[in-house]
Parts: sequence; structure tokens; C-alpha cells
Amino acid sequence: MLEIKGLAVSYGATTALAGVALHVEAQEAVCVVGPNGAGKSTLMAAIAGGVSPRAGSITYEGKPILGMRPENIARQGISLVPEGRHVFGTLTVEENLFIGTYAMADRRHAAADAEMLLGYFPRLKERWRQPAGRLSGGEQQMLVIARALMTRPRLLLVDEPSLGLAPKIVDTVYETLLSLRRERQLTLLINEQSSERMLRFSDRIYVIRNGRILLHGRTEELRDGEAIARAYFGFDDKADAALEAAP
Amino acid sequence: MINLIQTLIDALALGSLYALAALGIGLLFGILRLINFSYGDLITLGAYALIVPSADAVANMFIGNWPAALMIVAVCLIVVIAALLSDALVFSHIRRAEPSTLMIASFAVSYVIQNGILMVYGARPKSANLWSDLSYQITFGELHIPLLQIVTIAATLVLMAGLTLLLKRTSLGIQMRAAAEDFKMARYLGVRGNMVIGLAFALSGVLAAVAALLLLTQTGSLSQTMGTPLMLFAFIATVVGGMGSLLGAAAGGFAVAFASVFLQAYLPEEFRPFRDSFVFAIVILMLLFRPSGLIPTKALVERV
Amino acid sequence: MIETPSGRLLRGLLPPVLVMLGVAILTVIAVQLGGDDLSLTITETLIRLTVVVGLSIFVGNSGIVSFGHIGFMCIGAYVAAWATCNPMWKQLMLTGLPTMLQENQYPFLVAVAGGGILAAFVGLILGAAILRLSGIAASIATFAFLAIVNNVYSNWDTVTAATSSIIGIPVEVDPYMALAFALCAIAIAFWFKDTRMGLMLRASRDDGVAARASGVSILKVRLVAFVLSAFVVGVGGTLWAQFLGVLTVDMFYLPMTFMTLAMLIVGGMGSVTGAVVGTIAVTVFVQLFRAMEGGVTVGATTFALPQGTQEIALGIAMALILIFLPAGLTRSRELRLRRQRAATGDTGLGAPASLGS
Repeated sequence: MLEIKGLAVSYGATTALAGVALHVEAQEAVCVVGPNGAGKSTLMAAIAGGVSPRAGSITYEGKPILGMRPENIARQGISLVPEGRHVFGTLTVEENLFIGTYAMADRRHAAADAEMLLGYFPRLKERWRQPAGRLSGGEQQMLVIARALMTRPRLLLVDEPSLGLAPKIVDTVYETLLSLRRERQLTLLINEQSSERMLRFSDRIYVIRNGRILLHGRTEELRDGEAIARAYFGFDDKADAALEAAP
Repeated sequence: MINLIQTLIDALALGSLYALAALGIGLLFGILRLINFSYGDLITLGAYALIVPSADAVANMFIGNWPAALMIVAVCLIVVIAALLSDALVFSHIRRAEPSTLMIASFAVSYVIQNGILMVYGARPKSANLWSDLSYQITFGELHIPLLQIVTIAATLVLMAGLTLLLKRTSLGIQMRAAAEDFKMARYLGVRGNMVIGLAFALSGVLAAVAALLLLTQTGSLSQTMGTPLMLFAFIATVVGGMGSLLGAAAGGFAVAFASVFLQAYLPEEFRPFRDSFVFAIVILMLLFRPSGLIPTKALVERV
Repeated sequence: MIETPSGRLLRGLLPPVLVMLGVAILTVIAVQLGGDDLSLTITETLIRLTVVVGLSIFVGNSGIVSFGHIGFMCIGAYVAAWATCNPMWKQLMLTGLPTMLQENQYPFLVAVAGGGILAAFVGLILGAAILRLSGIAASIATFAFLAIVNNVYSNWDTVTAATSSIIGIPVEVDPYMALAFALCAIAIAFWFKDTRMGLMLRASRDDGVAARASGVSILKVRLVAFVLSAFVVGVGGTLWAQFLGVLTVDMFYLPMTFMTLAMLIVGGMGSVTGAVVGTIAVTVFVQLFRAMEGGVTVGATTFALPQGTQEIALGIAMALILIFLPAGLTRSRELRLRRQRAATGDTGLGAPASLGS
């Protein structure tokens, strides 16, 4: 569904991503883990058209999307939930939720979708006419996920959904994402700092550090978590070997 | 008491003009982080558009002689086109630049428009009579209110109401507010960046055109720098009100006008000439102690 | 190649020496070959060069665009007027001046030093207040400063004669005098760039987080650069006054700010060479268009561009530079040898930068 090859991004003299290759199949839940500053968010932003890569290719459903404007990528069915809960603070919950549907050609299903999503996030219904800036962190996280889903994406990119949230709320967020995946045939690509959580929720895992993919594999193969930890913290020669071997 | 009321009305009228102009600047800053110095020259252009190009000292009205409604539409159209052109020719090519670079670019645009006007209309300031009936004063007891002040306040209220309706009730407007708050996020959600930017330039053009008509009626004279002071105060107003917040821009416009008018009225005689310095100093103080302005938006601190 | 200490010194000294030599040679040739008109243009350009290089000391190293430095030029220029005008005139017109200034007439260099020092002093106070702001907020604050200086000097009639012209300032600055000051400014700018402070400031511009982490007090180094830069620009102001012999406040406002920034940006904000190249390039450009406005005779017919073409062309040229060469003609590099990265953001999307890494 999504195929990334040789992706390289720099900010000025700083290299954020170097030769990243990654693929996501339809209806998979794929996790990207790595320490702070590893390039996870840059990867997400690059897919969604938010940064201009220096080199590489990104194809989505067989179609090159690199270089497209973010709004057009969104229209292809990719929706990004960036890190840090970017709600529009002065807009109401309702306005936030519908914002992504205004640009759509077909808005007939919007009301029904909202109704369905509010079933998952009943708290939002209670705050319907309030400015989104007044919501709690957890509510804001629910809002941005619901808001992204309103655009009917087939691929949902979620950047650090657990950042700054209580563990209980994080679990709710993940469970919701997974049941949405089942019911709406959603494909998920999630950035996560906690390797423990990702082991529970994902099908496949990529470990990224210093802008490079150091390890990837099926979650059940990495179950013991040791290889991940080694790649994550970078104490290990094998991680570097994996890097060399990576296509 | 009468004095106070008179001063209040002066402040309201001045504040209306500032608020109009500040909204025009605030719209663009919110979405593009562009502090548009050429905005003052759009105002100047709106005023000059009324007259026949010539080097005479007294302006001959051209569009200015048309029926009011037609004239307003024509002036708006001209200024909107100029605003959109400035985006198409200059600003659209440097979307990724630093805000200070954008500001310098707007300086360049300003320089071109100003000297273009100079070339076509000559350097001599001109007197021009627009809607001179509006200088008529209405008397309530001891209170004298020029009709123009009432018209200015009314025009501002109408425009602000229209703008509010547009921004709150239409899908285009809601997308614009979202973009003003977090342009990148809005685009991730499919909001068309260029459409929102174009609309912002067009709206700021309309606001500039109306400000131009009011300003010209008030001063009765044209010069190629006539819009600059208004732009400066409007710019200050957006900083004071909270850059990127439209409500803040309007509130800032009134706040700056009230500060100006009341400083003028109540400062000791020897300090009055320096009134504007106090106003500008307020800007520095706001930046230092309340950088998000009177009415902050969420993303502001990282923005400024 | 083996780098000996003396080799490194030479490598470091070469760019400033070459730049200064270039400016000096151009000046000498132009003055020798040209008439009085050209000599005036050269003097004016060299004073502008002093101001632009002075501005670049702050802008080039800190990465913060200042819209306020013409305020320092104004402050310096008025010091020259206060110090050097005829005492009779001062006692008549500038009754608010301290007696010491009213009753005496000071020599040229005293005026120059005074202008620089007052500008630096004001810079110190202003800088201490506003330099903790960063980016566009700092730029806006410097702009507010410019507006304040303009407002104060336009209205303080017992000290600045308000908006009336100050006349009768002794004209002291000829091309070679201006050259001497311009060369000093260039030397100071090159020197500061490679001092510890200059290096730290540039590090903070390129990567604020890293610079802070390495224990640099950004505020302090910024302030030093700001004060030094205000001093040089203030000196430029005194030269301006003692070149023209006449002063009005309105000389030092938006058009002058635009022109100065244009010179800096056309050449490249990030380098001293850029400031020099930009000043020369813009001057040549402007003079060329002025000449064409005056009329160019080809055979029997004279073509003349309409008045105002020069300004419009400059505005367009500047926009083109911002669009196509944002780091300026020199790409913000010093003359050969030294490599210096231009600070251009590349973050994809439109306006608001940074969504996290």
C-alpha cells in the first residue's frame, strides 16, 4: 500500500533521515520506534507532504506521492495525526471535527461518520460547542484522531499518540485505533517511543535511530524485545550489521 | 463629562479605522506569518484609484464620481487585484522563507507600489473631495459628532459583522480560521493552502479599500505615503492584540486608538508631541511581557 | 596540504585584506578618473558602506534582522550637528541643548566619536531590553525603536529643531576620509566575526539549542554585537551629517531603512563581503537607472526612462534576489577561502515552520 525507498531529509546541515526504506501493506498496523530525535516525526511529515525530502521515493497504492502538496496527499486517503495534538484551539470541537470534510467532493457521509466516531469518543459529544483549546490532553488526542478519521483515510499516520498522556488513556486510544482498523479496514502506521506498548498492538516493527532504519521484522519474531532494545539504544554491533544488510 | 464622551467617540472612530486595517494585516500574518508592509500602499492605491492620473494639485475624480455603490465595488476590485498580484508575483515564491525575509519582501513590494503611484500621479500631494457632506456635524446638546465618525464606526461594524459571519458560518471561513491558527495542520487535513491564502489576500484587499475611502474622506488629501501611518498603527495593533488572532487584531486596533486618543487628551502638554513614541513603546513592552497579546491564540508563543 | 600557524593566519587575513584592497582601489580609480559629481557619489557610497557593514555586524552574526539601525544613524547624525554647528545658530535654535554643546564647536573627530558612543549607549539600553526576544519579535521591537527615534527627533524642537532642517554643519568628509572609515568598519566587522564572541553568536544563529547547551549566554553575545553594530552605524550617521552639511529627520526613516537593507540582502546578509558587494552593486544599479532617467543619447535621439523607474527597478530587483538568491550575490560567503553556510530554512510546507523533528 505504501512503499518508501531511499528517503533522505535534511534540515539545513542536519540530516534527519538517510536512506530510509519502509513499506506498509493494506490493513497492517506498523509501528516505528526509536528514541527522541531519531527522525520518526520527520518520516511521518515526509509521507504526508509536510517536508520536502532531498532524495528518495514514496508511492502510495502504486502512485508516486512525493512532491505532492499535503492537501492533495490528504485527498488520496492518507491522514496524519501529528505529534503534540494540533487541535485548532479557538475552533469548537464540532468545527475541528468537520474541518477535514469541507474540502471533500462528497460530504454526504460526514454527519453519519461523526455520529459513529462520537460513539467511540463520547466525551467529545459533551464538549461539542466548546473551543478545543479547553479540552484536556486526552480529549484533545481523541479529537485529533477523530478529526483525522473524518476525512475517511485508508492509511492513518499517528505520531506519538502516547506523548504526555496517562497510561490508561493511551490504552483507550490504542484500543480504539485497533477496533477502527477492523471495522473500517484502516491501515495504521504509528510512531511510538514505548517498545512495550508497540509489542502489544502492532503487526510489524521498524526501529529507527539517527535517521536510519536499524531493524525491522514481524512483531512476533521480535517478541522478546531484546533485539529491539539493542537497536534502540545502539549498544550493539548486530544493529549496525542489520543496517548494512538493509536493502 | 462632555469632554470625556467626545474623546471616547473620537477613540471609537479612530479605533474603527485601525481595527479595519489591523484585520487586514492580522489575516495575512495568521496564515502566512507575513507582516505586510505594502498594506499601507494598498490603502494609498485605493485612494488614488479614484482620480484621473495627472500631475495637478487638485485631483479630478474619475471613479470617485461614480455612484457610491459602484465606486466602492470598483475600488475594492482594484485593490483586491493588486493584493492578489503582490502574492502571485512575490510572496507566493517565498512561502518557506523566514518571517523577517517576508517582511523585507513586503518592503520591496511597498517601494514598488509607492514609486509606481509617484510615477503615474506625480509627487505633489493633492487635495481631493470625497463625500464632503460627511464632515457635517450632528449636535446632541453640547456634543458635536462629525457624521464621518458615525459612518466610520458603522462601516467597521458592518464589515466586522460580515467577516465574522464569513469566518464562523461558512465552511470556507472555518477552514480559514483553522489555517490561521495552524496552517500546516489544516493542510494535512486537506484544506487547500492556496485557496485560503488567496482568500486572505482578497479579504485584506477589501479591508484596505474601505480603509482608503474612509481615510481619504477624513483627510481630503492624497499623497503617495498617505497609507503608511495607518499601516504602522494597524501593525502595532496586531502585535498588541495578539498576532494571528483576528479578534485580537480588532481589539488591538481599538486599544491602540484609545491609547493614542487618551494620551493626546491627558498627557502633560510638553509630552503630547511624543504621543506616538508612547504607543510604540507599548509594543515593545507587549512583546517583552505579554508576547501573545491581549487575545492569544494557542500556537502563538512558538509563532512569534 | 600542511597548515602552518602562519599559513592559517594568512588564510584568515586574506579575505579582509582583499576586500579592503578592492574597496580602496575602486575608490582611488573612481576619484582619479571621475569629476566632482562622481566624487560625491563615491563619498556617499562609502558612508552607506560603513552603515551597511555596521548593520551586518549584528544581522550577519546573530541572524536577527534589525529594522531599527537607521535610528542609530539618526542619533549619530544629530550628535554631529550638536557638536559642530555654529554656536550662534545653536543658541538661537537648539535652546534645549546642554550649555556645553550650545556654546562650543567641537572638531570633526570628537563629533564622530560622540555620535558612535551615544548610538552605542542607546543600543546598550535598547538591546538589554529587547534582545531576549528572538526572530520576528526582535525584528518588530527594533522597528518600534526606529519609529520612536523618528517620532522623538521629529518633535523635540528645542534639541533637534523638530522637522526643520539643520543647516550649516561643517562639511568635512571627502572620498578619502569616507574610505578610511569604511575600511575601519570592514576591519572591525571581520575582526568581530572571528572573535570568540562572534563565533559563539554565529553558532547560536545556526543552532540555538546546541549553542545554549554549550553554555553560551546568547543574550550577552547578542548584546555585544548589537552595541558594536550600533556604534559603527552611529559613526556612519555622523559622517552622513558632515558630508551633506544639512540634516532632516525624515532622511532617517523608511526609505533609508529600505535602501540599507536592500544593500545588505542583495550582497548576502551572512558575510562582510556580502555587505560590501551589496552596497556596490545597489549603488551601481541605482546610478545606472538614474543615468537612464536623465536620458541616453543614441545617434540623434535621446531616450529617457520616466522618473521613478530607478526605485521601481530596485524594488523589483530586491524581490528577485529574495526569491532566487535568498543568500545574496555572495551566497553569504566571504571572499574565497572561507566557507560559510547560508542560513536558509528548508522545511517543506508553507509558512509556519517546525512541527517537531
